[in-house]
Amino acid sequence: MVELKKLSPWHFLILFTAGIFLTPILFIASSLFLGFSDNFYHLYNNLLFEYSLNSIYLVLGVSLLVVILGVSTAWLVTFFNFSGKKFFQWALILPLAVPPYLLAYIFTEFFDYSGTANNILRNIFNTNSDAIFFPNIRTITGAILVFGFTLYPYVYMVSRVALMNIPSSIIEASVLLGKNSIFTFFHLSIPLIRPAIIAGVALVAMETLADFGAVEHFAIPTFTTGIFRTWTGLYDINTALQLSTLLLLVIFIFLAIEKNSRSQIRYANSAITNNSYKPVQLTGFNNVLVFFLCFIPVFIGFLLPVLELINWSSQMDILVSSKTLVAASNTLYIALSSAALTCLMSLLINFIVRSFGISQIVNDLLSLGYAVPGLILAVGITKMFTSIDTWLDFDIIITGSIIGLILAYIIKSYAITNNVINSAYSSIPISLDESAYTLRTSKFKLFKNIHLPLLKTGIITAFLLIMAELIKELPATLILRPFNFDTLSVSVYLLASEERMFEAAFPSLVIIIFGLIPIYFLNKLILSNNK
Amino acid sequence: MREFLSIKNVDLSFNKKDLKISILKGLNLKVKEGDLIAITGASGSGKTSLLRTICGLESPSNGEIILDNLILFNNEISLPTEKRNIGLVVQEKVLFPHLNAKENIEFGISNKKNKKQLSNEMMERLKIIKLAEKYPHELSGGESQRVALARSIVMKPKLLMFDEPFTGLDKELKIEIYPEIKSILEDSNITSLMVSHDLNEVKALADKCFYLKSGKLAEI
Repeated sequence: MVELKKLSPWHFLILFTAGIFLTPILFIASSLFLGFSDNFYHLYNNLLFEYSLNSIYLVLGVSLLVVILGVSTAWLVTFFNFSGKKFFQWALILPLAVPPYLLAYIFTEFFDYSGTANNILRNIFNTNSDAIFFPNIRTITGAILVFGFTLYPYVYMVSRVALMNIPSSIIEASVLLGKNSIFTFFHLSIPLIRPAIIAGVALVAMETLADFGAVEHFAIPTFTTGIFRTWTGLYDINTALQLSTLLLLVIFIFLAIEKNSRSQIRYANSAITNNSYKPVQLTGFNNVLVFFLCFIPVFIGFLLPVLELINWSSQMDILVSSKTLVAASNTLYIALSSAALTCLMSLLINFIVRSFGISQIVNDLLSLGYAVPGLILAVGITKMFTSIDTWLDFDIIITGSIIGLILAYIIKSYAITNNVINSAYSSIPISLDESAYTLRTSKFKLFKNIHLPLLKTGIITAFLLIMAELIKELPATLILRPFNFDTLSVSVYLLASEERMFEAAFPSLVIIIFGLIPIYFLNKLILSNNK
Repeated sequence: MREFLSIKNVDLSFNKKDLKISILKGLNLKVKEGDLIAITGASGSGKTSLLRTICGLESPSNGEIILDNLILFNNEISLPTEKRNIGLVVQEKVLFPHLNAKENIEFGISNKKNKKQLSNEMMERLKIIKLAEKYPHELSGGESQRVALARSIVMKPKLLMFDEPFTGLDKELKIEIYPEIKSILEDSNITSLMVSHDLNEVKALADKCFYLKSGKLAEI
């Protein structure tokens, strides 16, 4: 424990930051002690059961789909050689670039009565224009498909890394005992990588529960849509906060499952040596079958939406409207400034933690924000800012400013930044710092002349990763943006809600292009693990 | 010659889980100005910890350390490492990886006018001038050690400490550079402490030798 008299201004800076990060969450949790209004009882008696049931149905359906898609494709690209394998190794991560709400908008239009899917089949089968080949996509099953095909890469990535770490001797032992690949997959590979699968599924469940854009577009009553409606429809922020607390509790359970599973992955990996298994060469029908099994998720989750967006964009007379330009510049402005601030904060906090021997728990605590859904964080920040405005008699000066949005972005993206910068910092031996001190180097000079140059790659990586995340962020942006401040994601949301998808196509493409940045780094990470 | 470094009753311990491990127990040492003192001892006896304590990288729980009449540590004061004016050369690779050998040597020199001249002189004396433009990953273990040594000596610290700095060097090179180092230290009147387990090295360089056992020093 640090004695109180030994606390330096740096310690107070960390305490202050932790205070700012955690206050919105405390505002949310404290709502449970403020009493329950009639609106809450109305929701409790009439809607809460439906919210819960839909959320459970969604989480179960999506979990099943992501396990099928993620684990099977990871197994195929790890243990078999087939046509296009090199392409699929990285292409299977591509759907991560497409936020679920975008795929929901695209699917709605694509499978619509007059959409591309029905038109193609009408032409193929030469039927009349009344023929409908696809059922209504705006259902829970449709939402499960949307989440499944955009979020399965979480499970694919962790499963692939875990499968690559299974020693060849184990697989070879199974083959020598006369077991075929399918038997080995179900009886050896899956049990061995179970913690990795659970960690991936927990992340997917958190993302599904946190989503607002897709379920709102599909008009599926879930916790997030309920929170939004309670606040914007019933104007009851306390009840919205109380609903948020319930959802947050469920999300923290998934967070605990994910953390616990990750520790088991490390335990499992420590016991084994990394000598990769020689993949089986597939030919003929099996080769074609496996190619298509890997192609389907990439096609539905990435190629189809991108091609359809390009198709819609090409049909527009004006590709980039003045509104889109304003939204793009707003997006860049807010994402750049938030990313720069987050990187700066993470650098500073990691430097303080390293130089003053402060526990890494500080970073774990500050990273909690990534688990809080954007919508809930936005409600918490609004409550916090309205309280400050009321206290200072400021009308809505702080609440109506851009500070709330920047704060939400920083809290949401601190974990990503910290992961990158903390690991970059860990690769700098502490003996370099000690060496610099013996050369009469001040802490500031150490930071400027030694740490910063060595962290350069890490800082750029973190910066790009946050930019990609923030550009597609929707719920917090929708709520916390100042008046007349539209970003690309908000523009797409507003246009999609008015069913003007052709106009939304180009900004959607820009969001996807930015979303490709983390894919590049994730792919590099998996490949380095393979080496 | 006057007493230059004085260490009185220094205690150092580490907490490992719930266990308190004592490393230095009431350790005392007096060093005269310009002397080169060698410290030997078994592995894990606390030789490195003693050097780290003197330069402020470890905090003792008790005692007093005075260097050139300046209190570095006592029960009230603990001067930070960067203000102690003590150089430390260790056996690990501690060159800054993004700077070449010359830039590493120039890193600590605050006098901008003489920076180049000082670093060139030092590189020539330690026979590493041809390494000037090379980066740490291009240097062998022995070359890195000599650059690290040059980087510390060029700072003209009040006290220079070596923690087995010649481990990576081959025998011929050691024989070649021992007199050169001794001459540089004597010319600069730098007081030095050296941790070594190599008795030939101790004989070649040290004026006095101490043995560290059970947290205390005994002269041999």
